[in-house]
Amino acid sequence: MTEQIGAVYDLGYEPFEGERTGRAGARKTLYFDGIRRVLGLRRKARRKVMPWALLFIAIVPPIVAVGISFVIPPGAADTIDLAGQNAEFFSLAGTITMLFTALAAPELLIPDRKDGVLSMLASRPLTTADYLGTRLASLVTVVGVFMIIPQLVLFLGQAGTDPEGLFKGLVNAADTLPRIVAVAAVYTIAYVPLGFVIASLSNRKSIATASYLAVMIALTAFAEALVRGSNISGGRWAALLAPINTADAANVWIFGGSNAESLLAAADIHPAFGILALVVAGAALSVFALNRYRRLM
Amino acid sequence: MGETAFTTSDLGHAYGNIAALHSLDLQVPRGRTGLVGANGAGKSTLIMALLGIITPTTGTASVLGMDTRSETIDIRGVVGYMPEGPCLPLDQTAADFLVFAAGTAGLPKRAARQRASDVLTLVGLNEERFRYLGDFSTGMKQRAKLAQAIVHDPDLVFLDEPTSGLDPSGREEMLDLIGRLGSYGIDVIVSSHVLRDIERTCSWVIMLDRGTLLHAGPIGSDRTEGTVHLELIDDPQHVETALVRAGATVTKQGRVLQVSAEHGDVYDIVRDSVAAAGASIRKLDASGGSLEDMFLHHGEGL
Repeated sequence: MTEQIGAVYDLGYEPFEGERTGRAGARKTLYFDGIRRVLGLRRKARRKVMPWALLFIAIVPPIVAVGISFVIPPGAADTIDLAGQNAEFFSLAGTITMLFTALAAPELLIPDRKDGVLSMLASRPLTTADYLGTRLASLVTVVGVFMIIPQLVLFLGQAGTDPEGLFKGLVNAADTLPRIVAVAAVYTIAYVPLGFVIASLSNRKSIATASYLAVMIALTAFAEALVRGSNISGGRWAALLAPINTADAANVWIFGGSNAESLLAAADIHPAFGILALVVAGAALSVFALNRYRRLM
Repeated sequence: MGETAFTTSDLGHAYGNIAALHSLDLQVPRGRTGLVGANGAGKSTLIMALLGIITPTTGTASVLGMDTRSETIDIRGVVGYMPEGPCLPLDQTAADFLVFAAGTAGLPKRAARQRASDVLTLVGLNEERFRYLGDFSTGMKQRAKLAQAIVHDPDLVFLDEPTSGLDPSGREEMLDLIGRLGSYGIDVIVSSHVLRDIERTCSWVIMLDRGTLLHAGPIGSDRTEGTVHLELIDDPQHVETALVRAGATVTKQGRVLQVSAEHGDVYDIVRDSVAAAGASIRKLDASGGSLEDMFLHHGEGL
């Protein structure tokens, strides 16, 4: 029996006479769609659970720290020195961001391929670079905000607990703002491009997520083994293969802390060189993903 | 904007060693054009070459007067495309997807919302607009695919096998919708391996066979005026005699008679002769006019 799926009414047709935004408008639409998709907005409830849960986990520790510093007066024995907490909270948020990227990158790329949406987008005023660039920009934006929000909580806490008052506190803490942006950028470059490449190669979101986490952990283990556990000539350069360690070391360095225990220090490589390596690797991985998509779109 | 929907010159494409299109030279007028051929004839490849999705191995093409190599983005801004395969994000509602589709085609946000609502009504999915596409039936998905292809009010739309997977009533509704696109000012290129679908919706046809052009021209141009094909259920001997007696010229092929008449209406002669012989008609149609006839006729040389 034929299923009745609705009736077609000819209510007339209004042609669109307005201005078209063309390629720029197409890119903007894709960019905001990417942000909504990563956060599960305008999707079923279960798509919202993981991104918002991770954001909650990332934001709670600085809120607790700031709350304690408000309750316990400065100078007391148990008080928290918020000024020295940036690098530590970034390190924690970095781990959560890695989990977030592991889930978000496949969510951005795989359904478009699996559901055939790419074939529709291929007929729109977009190039392959537009598509991948805007998807990357969506993820970078969300990951960046993900890292920066806990730091802004901390920044406001630092200013609010300043003995000289809130306004003076904002001025005093202002020098941390460029550092916050710099460290968020380093973590983003360390985590996002690899997630993108792995998501571009897999057809299942769960496999892409697991593969990404496995590769990140394996790279750290491999680098640790070569740098600290072997005498292979030139083995110290393997330290640059570990994005987690490099980002953590760069984080501590940017906030002026001691890096003596880090893998980069053990390999006698300056964190600035580590950041450069991350940028080069990120660019190379992005080009790889672009070439892969040139065959798909 | 060009006077032709698209033109090709020596257009060819190969996937590795397998040639999908051979040196096509076409000048296709605006209006509704059918692209027919068996599976693997090169229909989808031709559409993808015209959209700039694939770069042809040889030759050039233009769509609405714009070159497919150098003006790809401009072309995509004014054409729509309904792919043969799936193209719907299953975790989005129909309304959200249509707004997204309109936005990626370059419509401002407010206009995208308005057009999405209008087009969903037009294709009969207004009641279903807040349902997730993953919950849609095949017929509803085909309508949603058509909706995304026209949501931005394109000048020309490419429909690749639009009736694929539809039941008879869904097929009828889809063909009606396609037939109406012309009145909205949208030119249509429909690809199908079902000749009747093309016959019903198009005034022009391009026939492809294994990447080679068999024929391109108006549908019905091969029609032989005053000649019909008559197929009977029983032995046609008595009808043939009656037809000859009425002055018609008859060529017999099994139970099928090709009947022509120099004087009088051939259909009247057939009616009277069949009635006089007490025979029953299985099929009666104009000779050479159907796409099937055209396809068979032009494919003979292969």
